[in-house]
Amino acid sequence: MTMRKNKAGRCQEVRTLLLAVFSFFLFLSASFAAEAAEGTGGEKEVTLRVCSWEEYIDLGGWDEEDTIDLDSGDIIGERSMVEDFTDWYYETYGIRVKVEYSTFGTNEDLYNMLTLGDTYDLVCPSEYMIMKLMTEGRLVPLSKDFFDETDKNNYYIKGVSPYIRAVFEDNEIEGRPWSDYAAGYMWGITGIVYNPELVSREDASSWRILNNPDYYRQITIKDNVRDSYFAAVGAIKSDLLTSEEFLKDPDYQKNLEREMNDTSEETIARVQAYLQDVKNNAYSFETDSGKADMVTGKVAANYQWSGDSVYTMDQADEDGLKLAFAVPEEATNIYFDGWVMLKDGINGSAAKQHVAEAFINFNSRADNAIRNMYYIGYTSVISGGEDRRIFEYADWCYGAEEDDEDVMEYDLGYFFSDEDENKGEYVITAPSDQADRQLFSQYPSEEVISRSSLMDCFDENQMQAINQMWINVRCYNIYDIPVWVWIIVGAVTGILLAAGGKRLWGKYKG
Amino acid sequence: MHRYMFSRKSLGIPYALFLVLFVMAPLLVLVYFAFTNGQGEFTLQNLTGFFTDPNTLGTLCYSFGIAAVTTGVCLLLAYPAAYILATSRLKAKSVIVLLFIMPMWINFSLRITALKEILTWLEGSLAYHPFLNTVLGMSYDFLPFMILPIYTTISKLDGALLEAARDLGAGELQAFLKVTLPLSLPGILSGVSMVFLPAMTNYVVLDMLYNSTYIMGSLIGSYFAAYNWHGGSMIALLLLGIVCLFTFMTRGIEEENTRGGALL
Repeated sequence: MTMRKNKAGRCQEVRTLLLAVFSFFLFLSASFAAEAAEGTGGEKEVTLRVCSWEEYIDLGGWDEEDTIDLDSGDIIGERSMVEDFTDWYYETYGIRVKVEYSTFGTNEDLYNMLTLGDTYDLVCPSEYMIMKLMTEGRLVPLSKDFFDETDKNNYYIKGVSPYIRAVFEDNEIEGRPWSDYAAGYMWGITGIVYNPELVSREDASSWRILNNPDYYRQITIKDNVRDSYFAAVGAIKSDLLTSEEFLKDPDYQKNLEREMNDTSEETIARVQAYLQDVKNNAYSFETDSGKADMVTGKVAANYQWSGDSVYTMDQADEDGLKLAFAVPEEATNIYFDGWVMLKDGINGSAAKQHVAEAFINFNSRADNAIRNMYYIGYTSVISGGEDRRIFEYADWCYGAEEDDEDVMEYDLGYFFSDEDENKGEYVITAPSDQADRQLFSQYPSEEVISRSSLMDCFDENQMQAINQMWINVRCYNIYDIPVWVWIIVGAVTGILLAAGGKRLWGKYKG
Repeated sequence: MHRYMFSRKSLGIPYALFLVLFVMAPLLVLVYFAFTNGQGEFTLQNLTGFFTDPNTLGTLCYSFGIAAVTTGVCLLLAYPAAYILATSRLKAKSVIVLLFIMPMWINFSLRITALKEILTWLEGSLAYHPFLNTVLGMSYDFLPFMILPIYTTISKLDGALLEAARDLGAGELQAFLKVTLPLSLPGILSGVSMVFLPAMTNYVVLDMLYNSTYIMGSLIGSYFAAYNWHGGSMIALLLLGIVCLFTFMTRGIEEENTRGGALL
């Protein structure tokens, strides 16, 4: 265990060394870049380096039949969002931009890339990574102009959902709200995608399903430590979290976040025991195969992010398989991916910062937010403000047909409006089964939001303890090797040694 | 002549550059991280930590186990196949050899995806036998690497040696055991090292076949995901050490064997 004690404050010396090693590459790329800039003939061009999740923006090339034909007009992604942005920026501000768009696989990968010397201007990590980067002072705050609601091009501040806006303003790290540095992009919750023919809704509505022996080897769980930790905490504290007393407490929300972010030694030990149990009961931990395995019927239930669950259900629908989504009664992890600007990249350039903020705004324009949502399946933080197209889109996707008989009223007032008298306007009349299907996972009900909890950005000591717990769960412990294996290995080694010895002896004599 | 020498030497420059940039430099970084801690101070803690943590040692054993069983399975399947192929008088031999090589032309993750479906069909669910599945997947993947070297050595065997053995009164089995088997040892050894070493670290196969227990490759990955580059680098370095040791050992046996073979 000693190995893990000396983890991680990144120090100056490490950086120096890495700089030395990579400076050559930097030199190379810098000279290439210089060449490229000259190639454009001296015209002033701003380059924006964006790094976001894989497949997390509209890449264009839609078929005609993918057209979203809203009453207010058609929306279609003919070209990629990045190309459209480049043109829009030139038309609007008269300056040419070049967007270098690259992608990362996990928040941790992104952090490692940044620490190893990759430079980006604008990145889109999840909220806990944003908090980490904020704490480390690596971010550039959003400019005042970005929040100016009178500027017609400031689509973000005019269109962001009042609910999301409140979350970004209320959550602080080191005394500064997220909203100073981060603009939201997509958001969602965690839950269980399940096949209603094999799994009851009641079972799927508890984190305890993960080690439920009724579903032995039929459930996959996320192969990452934070998601697994959250689910395990929910499961081991299930009784407390669903007790009358706990739910009625006036400080419920605060208590919930405290309980779900509990990293006491005792809780970590219990989580470890629970996850070991899960490992022996679940189908497997998965990184990316869970969606396909649900659709092909290899598994009956799957721990999933809500955005991916929409995608999974859509795919299954095409195959005639009806899946559903449940949010555990204990709690759900609400998460946000947001745009932040990096000091290393922006480097004090006002022109660059303007492009970066414009990029956020362009992606926040209602039609573009819809294109991104349609393309990737996640839920945009944009509700549109006065532009009603986002709500229109939700209704277009999930609203009932006129001849549908079995319908329900699904209220999304909390997301689309902050004025009580307007809230009633945002009700979708949808087929009843949408209450636990795509509509429900794309726009969770207010009741689900009320039991959502953010997951903290754990500090170094907490992370170290949790990572060690994770390794204990995933690794084969040497003490678990059965005796017969030792005996066989001993016997084989003995024979080999004896044979080798004999040979040497023979040589010596010969 | 002089000019010729010069140009020949300069042909090596790109490779040398490549070697320095992409092999030497990363290796140095690896060594640096392996022997330092988060504060950049020299430490042996990563090393001692590896040998005192039951998890890392257990993972090493588990990887060894998977690699050993995979190599065994490959050898058992490959040797008879290669032997029959090399000694038969089939006209279509080259076609059959091609059939063995052909899977290598297909991307291995595609092959594993196909295997996944077949195993699911056979076993009902992949979740019940993770160890078995992993071994099957790896054997499937690495089998050509075992067959080819053995096939090449056996087909290059001097037939006169076998005739001599028979003239001296050896039976089929004895001739095989005393002549063919020892002389094909170099092929076996190179096959073994080509299967054993990748099998120890190829965690993609484990991931794809839903084995949730870490092997060395995935363990390094998890250290890096936790920003512990120091522990991860040390494991990578130790793996490198094991690979070197293994290569030297097989080379030693091979050399000894060729000398012995010459005597025969």
